[in-house]
This record gives sequence, structure tokens and C-alpha cells, in this order.
Amino acid sequence: MLVDVRPIHKLRGDRAVDVGASLAPVLGALCEDSVDLSRLRVVCDWVQYKGNFRQPVDVRPILAPGTDLLAAHGTAPVAEEIEVAIDLRRSGDGGIKDAVHEALGNRQDASVPSPPARVELEDWMPTSRSCVWSFNALYWQALDLWEQATGRQYEQALPGGESDARNRGAVGELVADMLTGFDDLAARNALPEELYVVELGVGNGNQAKVWLDEFAAADRAHGTEYYRRLQYLMCDYSPHVLELARKAVTDHAAHVSSFVLDATAPTTALGFLRGKVFLVYISNVYDNLPTEEVARIGGRSYRVEARAYLARGDVVDLAEYVAASEAAVPALIHKLLRLGPALLAEALPERFPGVETAVGFWQRAWQALKLEERYVPLPGLDTYRIAPGVGGEVLRPLLESGHDVRMHVNNGAVASFVDTIGLLHPFGRLLCHDLFVTDTHQYRTGFRGPGKYDGSVVNWVNGPLLQLIGSRKGFDVCYAPFAHRSGTNIVTMTARVRD
Amino acid sequence: MATRSPAGVLLPTAVVGSYSVPEWLERLKTDFHQQRLSRAHFDEIHDVVIKAAITDQERAGIDFVSDGELRRDNDIDYLLARIAGVRMPTMAKAYYYDYYDSVVGSHLPADAPPLGLADEFRFTAAQTDLPIKFSLTGPFSLSRRIRNEAYRSDADLVRALADVLNAEAAELVSAGATWLQLDEPFLAGYRDQVDLAIEAVNIVTKGVDATWGLHVCYGNRYARPSWEGHYDFLFPAVLEAHVDQLVLEFARKGYDDLKLLTRYGWDRTLGLGVIDVKSEDIETGDLVASRIRRALDVLPPERVVVNPDCGLRHLPAGVARAKLRAMVAGAAQVREEVVTPRPGGDLSSAAEHDPAAQRAVLAAVPNEEA
Repeated sequence: MLVDVRPIHKLRGDRAVDVGASLAPVLGALCEDSVDLSRLRVVCDWVQYKGNFRQPVDVRPILAPGTDLLAAHGTAPVAEEIEVAIDLRRSGDGGIKDAVHEALGNRQDASVPSPPARVELEDWMPTSRSCVWSFNALYWQALDLWEQATGRQYEQALPGGESDARNRGAVGELVADMLTGFDDLAARNALPEELYVVELGVGNGNQAKVWLDEFAAADRAHGTEYYRRLQYLMCDYSPHVLELARKAVTDHAAHVSSFVLDATAPTTALGFLRGKVFLVYISNVYDNLPTEEVARIGGRSYRVEARAYLARGDVVDLAEYVAASEAAVPALIHKLLRLGPALLAEALPERFPGVETAVGFWQRAWQALKLEERYVPLPGLDTYRIAPGVGGEVLRPLLESGHDVRMHVNNGAVASFVDTIGLLHPFGRLLCHDLFVTDTHQYRTGFRGPGKYDGSVVNWVNGPLLQLIGSRKGFDVCYAPFAHRSGTNIVTMTARVRD
Repeated sequence: MATRSPAGVLLPTAVVGSYSVPEWLERLKTDFHQQRLSRAHFDEIHDVVIKAAITDQERAGIDFVSDGELRRDNDIDYLLARIAGVRMPTMAKAYYYDYYDSVVGSHLPADAPPLGLADEFRFTAAQTDLPIKFSLTGPFSLSRRIRNEAYRSDADLVRALADVLNAEAAELVSAGATWLQLDEPFLAGYRDQVDLAIEAVNIVTKGVDATWGLHVCYGNRYARPSWEGHYDFLFPAVLEAHVDQLVLEFARKGYDDLKLLTRYGWDRTLGLGVIDVKSEDIETGDLVASRIRRALDVLPPERVVVNPDCGLRHLPAGVARAKLRAMVAGAAQVREEVVTPRPGGDLSSAAEHDPAAQRAVLAAVPNEEA
């Protein structure tokens, strides 16, 4: 049996976690159980997100090779090993031993259907396709309703209370560097007439306003007329958000255009800008795009699959909230995800007498939402597709470090990154503020998501993966701590053409 | 200088040099550079993939094939690593395609052994009956990746590299090479140094009895252009180059620069780029034919060789094959029109050709020796 305690930074100091107090009942429960201890892994995390998708104890089957072939013939998958996952933050309350017993009882045989204590909302699937991402999309689509219900704007939910994209110090430095670059190109008669800047994910438009204000002021002070040639493209998948953002930049209206697009495929709308953009700005977007995880366990590569479910008790509460049967709850949730709260209230007034009730149902369902996981062997990294045009082979250097590791692939972020760098002018740059893992070792020592951030999903972004992919496409990708606010986990990523 | 066509074929098709590098080969190349694969196995792998690349070209109907430059890690280091006097302080690579940092700390020795490219040519020649085009990165571009700590000026370094390549070209001709091409992918980024680059080209070609091509593009590193602009910077300097053929990129950029050939009186052959190698969209034969016809507005068909814009290395193999087939189909279409003018067609040069003689030439293509 392997016991892997990951949050090593929690093991020392004044507020050190008493791992022994957590692990002793876990090991006790395991020894009392009939589970094959030689085929067992115990992994301990510190899940820092108070809103998350995990139970204090989860059991994850590690499926045997050939699972895909068995499934094709209708045969139930076989678990070769079992991983017992402990959240150390929630394992010290005395009930952990019972939780282990209960979890193992649920999962000693992977072929046994889920017990009635859980209500599944979907079948097993790669996490990036789970309904948690429908919840995430709904959050951004119906943000105004969510904010009304919570009484606070989403920026207030961010650490520090505002997006790092608004930091004037950071913007000022960036603009100054860009002006110098423009001067160099102009001196070689190589500066295009139109200077394009793209922002993906505009939020409330404050970042765009700060950037444009700083650029216009710096250009005036610089004595050049680059602002006259500037075209700032605000892009978001929500027309509503774009409209709000436009109001924030009315002072620069002549230089601003809006595009509705999916951040994972910017060239669908911006293909005409290939090779022409001097700056693409993305702040706190990548960590919110669909992702799945891969793992290396015992020298074998796995894809993590997930299945969303609700605990029976939560289903009872939800049913009571809308005066429906427990059996109706999953269908109501899927209807909510399809229609959104406003239309749901219109469609089912007997259950949702007002939009507020629908929003309440949404928030309660979101709070209760959990994910169970399993590891499915990958027949080969080359058979795994990370994003369009990006095969799984690129993961090999990260996975073959010699250690067991589980890491995010950030499929949505990779798709966005790859599509975006094609827009860059040879002297352009992609600038991104986000939660980045900058060393794969960090996956072995900390929990990197998923967590619930207000009504959205958050996962740290696999920085070394973007670095590798960028490198294979001729870009240098660098990471630096966000320099303009202390105590933040935000990292600045810069990607520029090399050679 | 006199015009020499690489063969008697009308509108022959050729590759520029590199061929599709599959992902698994990239992985093996990286493994080699990280010392996880032996040189012997690496060489055998290259032998096999070169045979496959040649077969692909033959089946596509290409008239002049190459080894796909599949042994090369990139366009620069493969040569620099073989040149005596070029030092690479760090030889480990995270990725095979990365560039080394190269330094020339003292003058390149005049009596250095050959670079070994002749053996590669011999291997390729043994695999095919078709004539072969063999490419070398030119001295100007090679110099751009070297830190010069030895020569008084960078121009002197360029000339010294040209001397090395001149000796190697002679070795290649001794091995049977008849069509050599110098690639200058960096030149478009140094428009003010064309005179130096052409001077170096002439050093390389001096006394080497081969059909010489000069390929100038806007870069194909990671399938991205490194530079933008027009070919006007090449003229009139390139008229002084002792080469038989100018191999240029058009398909991606458009054909407006063809007028430069007329304006400056280019009197030799044009390697006409008709395939965009930076796009995976597969051209149709009709599109290729229309592009060739654009060139025939300014040059007679006997002075046009049909080729992709640049190397195919970044394209998936299936796409590369399909593009080559389209290129061959387009060339055949126009060739037929030239030999048998379409009613109302205005290919003036068609009348200058004897259709019977042209058909005889075409029939001989598969076994034609350059």
C-alpha cells in the first residue's frame, strides 16, 4: 500500500496538520476492511476551496488496461487498483473512519452500480465534458441573476476584490514596453498602419478602460500618434457582457470594436488578424475553461473520468425546495442548464413561481454538486487529443518524470492558447494573468482544482504544458509572479515569438 | 549567364527540400538529442523514412525528388554541427528542432574534411531512378545563427562559410549530384544585406558544375513566416547571382511579385511556389493550374519549374501527399494546354513549341536524368 501525503507545506509550523490523527483512523478502517491492501493507494490532499466537488473521503477505481475494449462489448470495467482520496482539511472531525468504511463499501467492486446514497446526473465521461461545465457556462450567461441573488459582483469574489487586469502599474509597464517596440518597428519602416490589441474575456470592461487610458496618456507623453492607429478588440462569448463592457470604454469608442466569440477558438471570428496582433490580453480566463486531468500511476498513463452526482440528502432538500419528487430533481437540473433560470421559471411556473426560486434552485444544486472519479488507462499518449491540433504526445516529458503524478491538461486553455498565438505579429505578445502551476512538481505537493469559485469552476493552469506546446510552435513562454500585488497566487504568463 | 533547365521536361515538378516530419519521428529525434537513442538506430530510422518519403514523391508524380531533408534536425544546425571550427557549447536539446547556440571562436580551417553530405546524396540516389534535387542552407542564413568571435566582420564569416559550402558542393557533384539548391530563409529579414548574400552565393557556386537554384522565402520556422514584405529587395542584386533558378514563395503571398521578374529582366528559370506550405488546406489541381498560368504571363513554360512555396516539413504526411498530387495535376493540366493550346487560349509560348517533341519529352520524364 502506498500512502501519498501531498500538502507537505501543511506538515510543519505552528498550524501544522496532525496527519497522524487523520491517517490513523483511515489506516485502521482499511485494515478492518477486506480490501486488497497490496492494490491500494491512499492520497491525501488539502482541498483549499471551501466550495469543491469532493467528499472528505473518495474512492477512485484505477481501471485495468483494455477497459475501452471491455466497454465496447458491454462488459463492466475492472478495477486493477483502488485509490482512496482523503481531504485532510475535513478529515479531523472524528467521522473519517466511518467515511472510509462507507466509501469502500460503495466501491470495493467497480462493477457494482452506484449505491442509492447518490443520485448520478450523468454517465462516466472525461471531466471536460461533465455537466459541471454547463453550470460554469450558466454562471457567466446569467451572471446578473446570480449577482442579484448574492448581492455582490463577481469581481468581489476574486482574491483582492478585483481583477488583476485592472492594475494600473502593470498596464503602465506593458504600454511603455509596447511603445518602445513600436518605435523600433517604425524606425525600420515596418510598423503596420493599424495596431491591433485583442482582449479575450472582457468582464465588465474595466481592464479595457484602464489599458486604453494608460495607452492614450503614454502615447501623448511619448509624442507619437500610435493611439490614432490603435484598434482595441474586446472579445467575449456573451453579447450582454460585451455591451456592458462597451459602456466602460465610451471615451475610446472610435478605437474599440466588439466581437462575440468563444475564447477557446478566437480565430473563428478573428482569423483575419493572423500574424497582425501586437498584444493579446487574457486575465483570469484560462482557469475557468473546461479541463480534464491525466495521471501517471505505476508507470502507466491514465485519463481521469468523472461523473457528477448529488448526495441523497441534497436531493431530498432540492426536491422539497421546489415541491417536486426526488426522482424529478436530475431532470430539473438538466432543464435548468439548458434553459437558464429565467426561462426555467417561465417553463415550469408551478415549480418555480419566480426567477428568484429558479436561481435559488440553481445555487443549491451547485453547492451540492459533487464529482466521483476513476482512472481509465490510455492506450497511448498519441491516442489522446488535448485540443484541436495538439496531440497527447506532448505530455510525455511532463508525465515521465519517474514519479506518480496527476495533472491538469487544461484542454480549453490549450485550445485557446494555440489558436491565439497564431494571431500574434512576429513582434507581438500574449499576456495572461491567471493561476498557473509553473513546475510539475507543484502537482505533487498541492491541490490545483477543481474548486468552486462563486458559481464558476476554477482549476489551476498547467504552465509547463503551455510552455512545451508554445516551444513546439516557436514561442517562448515565460512565467513570473504577478508583480503588482503581494500575497497573490496570480502569475503572469508571457508568450512571444522566438528565433 | 546561360539558362539551364534541370531537365528537358516542360513545367517539371519538384519539391523545395524538406518533407513531412511525423510526430513520432520528432519524438525519436528528440530522444536522440537527449541521448536516449543510439546513432546506429537513428541512422537506420532515417534510412527507412527517407525511402518512404521518396516513394511518396514518386507516387505523387513528382519529377525531381529529394531526401526530404529528414536527417536534419533543423535547417541550420545540421550543417553547422558538421563544420569544423563551429563550436556548440551546449549540445543537449529539450526538443530536436531547437537551435543550438553556435560560436566561431577562430577562423574556419581551410583543410577541414567534407561535411558528409555526399554520402547522403549517394544513399538517396540509390533509392530512386528519378533525378534528385539536393538543398543546402546558404552561407548568409547559416551565419545568422553564429556568434562571431573570430572574423573582423560578419561579412567575412559569411564568406568563410561560403568557402566551406563550395567545397561540399564539389563533393556532392563528385557523388553525382546535378541539381543543387541554396536556401536562404533568413535573407528576407536582412533586406539591406542582399549584396553580401549574393556575393556568398557566388562563392559557393564557383567552379561547381551543377544546375544551381537559389531559394528565398519568408521563413518557415514552425510553419510561420518570420518576415513579411515583397521580393523587391532581391533585385537587381540577384541578377548577379551565378544560379540557374530562383525558387520563390508565391502561393501564400500572392503573385504580384511576378512582375519583378519582368521589370528586372530575370532571364533564367523560376521555381514557382504554387503550394502554400503553411496551410493544411489542400489546393485543387485547378487552383495550381491557375497559379502556373499567372507565371506563364511573364515567363515561357520552359523557364518555369513547379514547386511548393517551401519545404513540407510541418505538414501532416497525408496533407503533404495530397498537396503534391494536386501540384502534379495542376502542372499536367497546364502542360497539356501548352502542348495543345486551348481554343482561344493565349499562351503565346505554346506556338513556339513542337507538340510532338514535347510529348516525347513528357513521355521520357519518369526515367529522365538531370
